[in-house]
Amino acid sequence: MSESELEPTIEETPPPKADSPRQRFWKRMVRNPLALFSMVWFVILIVSWVWPELLATHDPFKQDVTLQRLFEGPSGDHWLGTDGLGRDHYSRVVFGAGFAFRSIFIAMTIAIGIGVPIGLFSGWRGGRIDRAIMWVNDVLFSLPIILLAMAVIIILTPSLTNAMIGVGIAMATRFVRLTRGVTLAEKEELYVDAARITGISVPRILARYIAPNLLPSLIVQAAIISGAIILIGATLSFLGIGASLDDPDWGVMLNRARPDFRREGIWQIMPSGGALVLTVLAFNLLGDAIRDAIGRDASSNALTITKRVSVAAASTSHAEGDDLVISVRDMDVEFPSAKGPVSEILNGVSFEVRAGETLGVVGESGSGKSMTMLSALGLTPAPGRMTRGSVNFLGEDVTNLTEKAWQSIRGKEVGVIFQEPIAVLNPAMKVGAQIMEPLRIHMGMSKAEARTRAVELLTEVRVPDPARRLDQYPHEFSGGMAQRVGIAMALACEPKLLIADEPSTALDVTVQGQILDLLAEIQTRRNMAIILITHDLGVIAEAADRVLVMYGGQVMETGSVEDVFFRPKHPYTKALLDTMPQNHSGDGELAVIAGIVPQPTAWPTGCRFAPRCVHATDSCTSTMPPLLTVNTDVVRCLRHGEEGFDLAQPASGTEVLS
Amino acid sequence: MAKYIGSRLLATIPLVFAVLVVTFLISVAMEANGSIATQICGEGATPECVGAVEDELGLNDPIVARFFSWFGAVLSGDLGSSLLDQNTSVGELIGERIWPTISIVGFSLLIGVTLGMLFGVLAALRPGGLLDRVISVGAAGVIAAPGFLIGMLLSWAIAVELGWLDPVGYVSLGESVTGWLKSITLPSIALSLPTLAIVQRQLRSSMANALQSRYVLAARARGVSRPKLIGRHALPNALVPTVTVIGFRAAAAIGLTTAVEIVFGIRGMGEMLVSAIVNRNVTVLQGGMIIVGLVVASVNLLVDISYGFLNPKVRLDK
Repeated sequence: MSESELEPTIEETPPPKADSPRQRFWKRMVRNPLALFSMVWFVILIVSWVWPELLATHDPFKQDVTLQRLFEGPSGDHWLGTDGLGRDHYSRVVFGAGFAFRSIFIAMTIAIGIGVPIGLFSGWRGGRIDRAIMWVNDVLFSLPIILLAMAVIIILTPSLTNAMIGVGIAMATRFVRLTRGVTLAEKEELYVDAARITGISVPRILARYIAPNLLPSLIVQAAIISGAIILIGATLSFLGIGASLDDPDWGVMLNRARPDFRREGIWQIMPSGGALVLTVLAFNLLGDAIRDAIGRDASSNALTITKRVSVAAASTSHAEGDDLVISVRDMDVEFPSAKGPVSEILNGVSFEVRAGETLGVVGESGSGKSMTMLSALGLTPAPGRMTRGSVNFLGEDVTNLTEKAWQSIRGKEVGVIFQEPIAVLNPAMKVGAQIMEPLRIHMGMSKAEARTRAVELLTEVRVPDPARRLDQYPHEFSGGMAQRVGIAMALACEPKLLIADEPSTALDVTVQGQILDLLAEIQTRRNMAIILITHDLGVIAEAADRVLVMYGGQVMETGSVEDVFFRPKHPYTKALLDTMPQNHSGDGELAVIAGIVPQPTAWPTGCRFAPRCVHATDSCTSTMPPLLTVNTDVVRCLRHGEEGFDLAQPASGTEVLS
Repeated sequence: MAKYIGSRLLATIPLVFAVLVVTFLISVAMEANGSIATQICGEGATPECVGAVEDELGLNDPIVARFFSWFGAVLSGDLGSSLLDQNTSVGELIGERIWPTISIVGFSLLIGVTLGMLFGVLAALRPGGLLDRVISVGAAGVIAAPGFLIGMLLSWAIAVELGWLDPVGYVSLGESVTGWLKSITLPSIALSLPTLAIVQRQLRSSMANALQSRYVLAARARGVSRPKLIGRHALPNALVPTVTVIGFRAAAAIGLTTAVEIVFGIRGMGEMLVSAIVNRNVTVLQGGMIIVGLVVASVNLLVDISYGFLNPKVRLDK
């Protein structure tokens, strides 16, 4: 299925009152408990930094060397106990926030101050200068940050400021990479090109076009790098080459506790260690939360097998006959979304295909064609699931089949050819290994047997020099050759059913024709059933016996190819036919169906096509039309059979089918 | 493949050279910020002593000439002698200190990468599932904690409270194999946890991407079983970005081991570098940097070579 067909399921429903992006950002941030935690922690830290006296209970430097006051545990006077010099842990931790923020401030100023301009320059200039800058940057990038900081410290003498200068220089390399990457990508954008041609100065282009695209990722990076700066600063202070050894810096406190914690108890490292970990954690969570609030999250994948739900029974029964290959009755597929209502992607879809027959499935993108076929094979992408209906495959009920049981059917009894031929080949695996996979799994062939058969298959789909091609990788194949490989894989085990999803769309016209001829030839030889999904009616006219017209996740009509082209029963079919270039009055404009396919979360109440239908009446927009049976076919239109409602168009049909 | 490895090997030469230039510049910069000769002569240095040392070390020569004589010495394996003690060669000093460091860094990478990949794959199998959430929380916590702090906790809990291992000290491999293993176990675990968490996070996210890909869906439609989808189809593709992260993490671990070694009282490169900084003993720091530069260059080489194995496009195009 295409991207656009899946998208609505992942997207949230638009809220009734549209929030501005900024409002939405803050709403998401506040709703995320982890982001909320980090924001609260930052408020505490900032107060500790700006006005430590407000929170502290003691002078952080004041020593109390009376014996019983050393290494104390928490008490009413010293909330977090005392250190080896009787100083108050809690007050020192409060004052430590200032050191942490000062570290971030120094290092971040240097890192961004150096990194962003260099990145902008390098990305904008491109070419040799860019390569030279990036090479030097990569060298520095690959060296340990602590070591670079050590180099700066030995030059400038140990202090927190000097340590942070070193860390800042090391971190600048991160910002160079980020900025340069964004600049390089944005520079290629058309609107930047346009601005350049109009003579807008480079600094203004950078500020107006590049900066807004850079800012979100810069903020995310800055949050995470701030955490890293604190970690490295604490490590250097712990080593005694950062903050001065009397300062109430968290790293220094750990340094001071080091000789004694084994004897005096682990509590000695808890106050400063805890503050350190919580602060770094807060920065990391903040960065993650900002990224999530800006972008969308993908929490499911092809392997996530959705929790089984009970599938409601179909209300109609399967067709009869020994030659029946697949029969689907009343299939509903739903996608629950995290927030917002369940969206119904498919509604009451029924069809069947017999041996040797080709069923063409047509409809615009988003009409549910690909989803229907994936769901029929138990491949509904998560978190979608089939909630109603029944699927019969080769006389067996496969509606509730387990994934394991499906494995022995998929690839053996049914082959699938996907659109985007290159994307469906695993880039890290030799093409031969991928073709041999179904042979070895389903036919139990040895490696050598499978290889021989793979050569035969490639020969059959007319890939030149098949033996050599087997040892190549997908990136060495053109789109047309890759699609032939896809066909060879789908046909490897001589399946009874072939599902071809836009098998020729990505290819140029000559190759398209060859592929379709090839499929027809193989079909005749093996008496195979084919389901051919396409939005190209020309392909349907050429290759299909019967046609299934889909719109909005529903079947709109079925019919023989002649019926559909000469005597369409549904206005949607008629509208599709009108968009064909052949059916055009020749006024130079390409016909399109006005309006767009609605989102699955917002189906119209009545007929789903009504808002775009030129024949729609008031009842069409209020009543969902039932699926009417007409002879052996079906149609979903309220006006079907009405006196004088005739969609026939003999002229166009003849031309296409001839 | 041999050709590819050869070209990568050649590419590391400029990297090593760049590290040497940076390293050399440290002593030039130190010169500008207080003479090395004054450092050698110690407090209350007499002008005579300073002059003599400057002549001896050739500090008054032009920078380029100094660079080449230093560069020549480094190439022949002479890293100079400690500024504090002219009789101690930096090469020998590093030779003594490098083994504990290599042991800890190596062992920590072994643990971190193996377990990180395991947990990464496990978490990716059911995104949002219980296991994924537990691992994510653990990883977020571990990433926020510096290795030396984890080391202190481990040392206290495992060595002091439970008494299972010695809290401090290093036993060389030559003395006793089990002793060596016991002495590096806690520091390696401490250093490995952040590696583990970072590798886990990266692999989880790139596995999730790979599992969402069309080629995994297509393989599933061919009847490929779940273990094979994960192991043969998704994993090799997900490993490419993970290997990059492992390379960065190896370099970071070399830096972070310093603090961990100090927690466990191990006299490795870390302690050597820290005291070199405190004493402004620049030749020792330079020696350390050169070694680290060589290690980083080798790590980069290994990363590049594994790209070649994982990504046929890289291997065949170059």
